Amino acid sequence: MTLSILSVQLLTGLAYGMLYFMIAAGLTIILGVMNIVNLAHGTFFLTGAYVAFSLLSNQVSFWIALPISVAVMAIVGIVIEKLFIRRVYGKELEQVLLTFGLAFIIADAAEWIWGTEIQTLAVPSLLDTSISFGTLVFPVYRLFVVLVGCALAALLWYFETRTRIGAVIRAGVDDRAMVSALGINVGLVFTGVFAFGAGLAGLSGVLGGPLLGMYTGLDSEILVTSLIVVVVGGLGSWRGSFIGAILIGLIETLGKIWFPSLSMLIVFLIMVVVLIIRPQGLFGRGVTS
Amino acid sequence: MQTSWLPNRKKVRLVLKNTVKKRGMMMQGRKGTRKWKALASTALSLLMLVTGCGGTTESSSQPGTNQQPSEAPAEETVKIGLILSATGTFAPLTESIRNGFELYLEEHDRKLGGRKVEVKFEDDEANPQVALRKYRQLVTGEKVNLLVGPISSAVAYALRDEVEKDKMILIDANAAGNDLSWKMKSDYIYRLSFSNWQNGSSAAAYLAQNVGKTAIAIAPDYPAGIEVVAGFKGAFEAGGGQVVKEIYPKLGTNDFATYMTEIAQLKPDLVFTFMTGSDGIRFVKQYSDFGLKGQIPLAGPSEFGDQLIIEPTGDATEGIIAGIMYSPWLENEANRKFVESYQKKYNKLPNMFSVQGYDSAQVIDKAIAKAGGVKSEDLVNVLKGISFDSPRGPITIDPKTNNPIQNFYVVKNTKKEQGIVPEVLQTVEKVTMPDTDPAQ
Repeated sequence: MTLSILSVQLLTGLAYGMLYFMIAAGLTIILGVMNIVNLAHGTFFLTGAYVAFSLLSNQVSFWIALPISVAVMAIVGIVIEKLFIRRVYGKELEQVLLTFGLAFIIADAAEWIWGTEIQTLAVPSLLDTSISFGTLVFPVYRLFVVLVGCALAALLWYFETRTRIGAVIRAGVDDRAMVSALGINVGLVFTGVFAFGAGLAGLSGVLGGPLLGMYTGLDSEILVTSLIVVVVGGLGSWRGSFIGAILIGLIETLGKIWFPSLSMLIVFLIMVVVLIIRPQGLFGRGVTS
Repeated sequence: MQTSWLPNRKKVRLVLKNTVKKRGMMMQGRKGTRKWKALASTALSLLMLVTGCGGTTESSSQPGTNQQPSEAPAEETVKIGLILSATGTFAPLTESIRNGFELYLEEHDRKLGGRKVEVKFEDDEANPQVALRKYRQLVTGEKVNLLVGPISSAVAYALRDEVEKDKMILIDANAAGNDLSWKMKSDYIYRLSFSNWQNGSSAAAYLAQNVGKTAIAIAPDYPAGIEVVAGFKGAFEAGGGQVVKEIYPKLGTNDFATYMTEIAQLKPDLVFTFMTGSDGIRFVKQYSDFGLKGQIPLAGPSEFGDQLIIEPTGDATEGIIAGIMYSPWLENEANRKFVESYQKKYNKLPNMFSVQGYDSAQVIDKAIAKAGGVKSEDLVNVLKGISFDSPRGPITIDPKTNNPIQNFYVVKNTKKEQGIVPEVLQTVEKVTMPDTDPAQ
């Protein structure tokens, strides 16, 4: 394997890892802050992509469709949090049933609106080129995905450690009652976090659309992928998801070359190995009783 | 063709169980685990409930009117059970087949062979177990006279012994598994689509003569992928070509980048690929993204000249050479009429699956008229060797394989005013499946 092949493969793995990170980020943040496993996450992803698809079909530019889709999903998140999620805080069974039910309802509605045909998003013309590495070429759009992933991670880091909102959220994770007692409106914070998570799902949907396409059933594939990333990275830790996603992207891509017959299993093998060695995930907080 | 929906539901269950268990331990310690187990199992049973009972039955008859299986000529209704996969990646195929079937009924006053038709639809979820249950429901519960289905070959194989036992005619509207014509052939199953062998081999001789002598074949790692590549390889090598490498990525691959680099390194004269649904769309787009389009000719079977892939991928499909069984631009009288009425009713172009649905209704119409009834034995006699004009051209059901003898068209996807159009380069007449597996 020459250097140029290796670098293209590494970039491919990195790009997929970043996409996985963006997909899982919304789920892991909602889980970390609100303690809710949002099983409608894959559906948010797909719906975000479909919204962008509708906009693009009406000649709206990709760069305008992207923020609109994110905003639409964030608003959907706010509505769902205010109407439903709010009622089931602390009730795990209800949360699972609720978000799973929502996933089915939204997915069916999406099928009704956008049909069953497989669709894709066009890569914006600005990024629709490729760069060459010796004899090999690499699409620029994937580099863009890597950049956005890094920017998102930097943004999350900044928010978490350097801003007041970040401090409130961290405090809310540790002791919700105490934060309330300090006069902070935890309900509002939670609504914001849920909207943020849903918006991130929309963002990854639009960015993933040109790579993955959109079709019925993609929502559950996405949910599985993001759950794996979250489990490997450590529950509720976005840093864990960041490292876990890159790890999965790289191992999956390189595994396809070196162990082609195992390509179906690799992702699950990673999960199993991580769970055996570190049951709390790479960056999990550890098991407390 | 296999869906990725079901295995995924299983994966969801698995992962859900893990997540849920771990969270339980984290937050509540050992005492909480039991609660979480209960929760996990509830979620699990919910999942099974949802996956198991997702089928819909469209019924136009009143419930409770206990109809006798129609021997009485006064109420000559024929009940047809449609068993297709409406969930997951097969959903667009099922929709197209149903559209085609429905169009034929509408054009013929909702009568087939002069009898009023009642259609019952069931979703098999591309799962043989579910399909067997739905089959029972249709045959014993609804007492259908004929069946049309399934999408997946695995389902077709699972139904095979049942239809033999019940002497129930199954019009195969899609499943392309070779063995339905060879080892698992049944007098009660007649295919109206095409076999994997036909699909893989039809363009191979043209490719070897006109495009190049070395090829990489790439297809998903499941029976249809392997059968199509085998069909291609046999015919391509018989035509003087050589398959230098076969690559089998997993079904439902997101990223073909690894294989694209491999192709760029090996530089074959052409790449032959079989992919369906989302895999096909991703493959075509990535082939173009990674700069292979225009460098190494891409060729494929029917799917790559079909609207289901051309429409969403657009320009990326330009230049692909495909061996197809149908395109809306084929020039014949039946097709002109079909395309016109299809567009009028559904406001879009038909694809090959629409034709399969249309022809499934058409063959039932012709067979009942010819047999003068719906008795399976009579239908078997007329179905063997039946010929008619399909929008794809003339077809005959080969009595040796129960598979259609039909034309295939070697096409090149060409950019025109109305978008990408598969332009016919060569008509391969009367592609006939061999009686037995040529590899043995």
